[in-house]
Amino acid sequence: MNEKPNLLEIRRQVYLYYTEDGLADMSLGLVLLGFGLLLLLDLPAFVGTLGLIPLLIWYLGKGSLVIPRVGSIQPGRAMKKRFLGFFINFCLVGIGVLVLFLLGRGSGESFFSTYSLSLFGFVLALGISALGLLMNAVRFYFYGALVFLAMAGGELLKSSISAFDPFLIGVISAGTIILAAGLILLVRFLGKFPVISLENER
Amino acid sequence: MTENRTPDIAMDVEFDRLIHEPARLKIMAFLSLLESADFTFLVSRLGLTMGNLSAHISKLQEAGYIVVEKGYKGNRPQTQLSLTEKGSQAFQAYKNQMLQFLQ
Repeated sequence: MNEKPNLLEIRRQVYLYYTEDGLADMSLGLVLLGFGLLLLLDLPAFVGTLGLIPLLIWYLGKGSLVIPRVGSIQPGRAMKKRFLGFFINFCLVGIGVLVLFLLGRGSGESFFSTYSLSLFGFVLALGISALGLLMNAVRFYFYGALVFLAMAGGELLKSSISAFDPFLIGVISAGTIILAAGLILLVRFLGKFPVISLENER
Repeated sequence: MTENRTPDIAMDVEFDRLIHEPARLKIMAFLSLLESADFTFLVSRLGLTMGNLSAHISKLQEAGYIVVEKGYKGNRPQTQLSLTEKGSQAFQAYKNQMLQFLQ
């Protein structure tokens, strides 16, 4: 233990616990990939099941790979408040955009109906970036930008390309890139932290 | 011979020696941010040996600053650590003293 105690570094390390293993990246990547593939296969009814992916990855990955290596923590009161604040704000922004979108649809051709996919991408990018801010993980800003560019670009190209759906290809590509980044982080994490046996300590 | 010593400024401030030690200060700092953490988490973050960490934890536990709960999660032994109210107040007082001293 060479480093001097530093509260900011300690705070950073606590938040790092949630993102350094790449499971959050893999969850996000798989959700996007699944979303794109389900729409491509014309199975929109199954989109709701994608919500299970982060839960499964979190439960299985944390339990079998992360906890034996870096243990587990329960967030303190301030952290819980921060997480809850993020969740509420994200829901409020999402509901606000949905209301604007529905109001726009009612009035014929409007900005919100013309650019609905870009708007969806923007809100999603905002949420992903906010997650990065919350967890002090800068790479999530890039993921946010990537998702927005993929969705907005796909929507813009939709009218000029008819052979395939550029929006879905954009979503699938973004999901694959984020999933690959998560896998790389997971491999690095597994190499960096060996399993700690507590038998001797007890 | 008259004694001609400059006053020892550091002696005016009485830091909590138990927390002042760097490894224990880190343990207290981690636990101050969390509801609880397990032993494995602190081993992985602090880079201490298990024996060394256990010794520091025992000292903090004896002072009533932290509580240690041993149990099992599945087949794995798990040692949960959390700050007590006394520990939380002591850490806050230490932080305030340190800030005051540095101003």
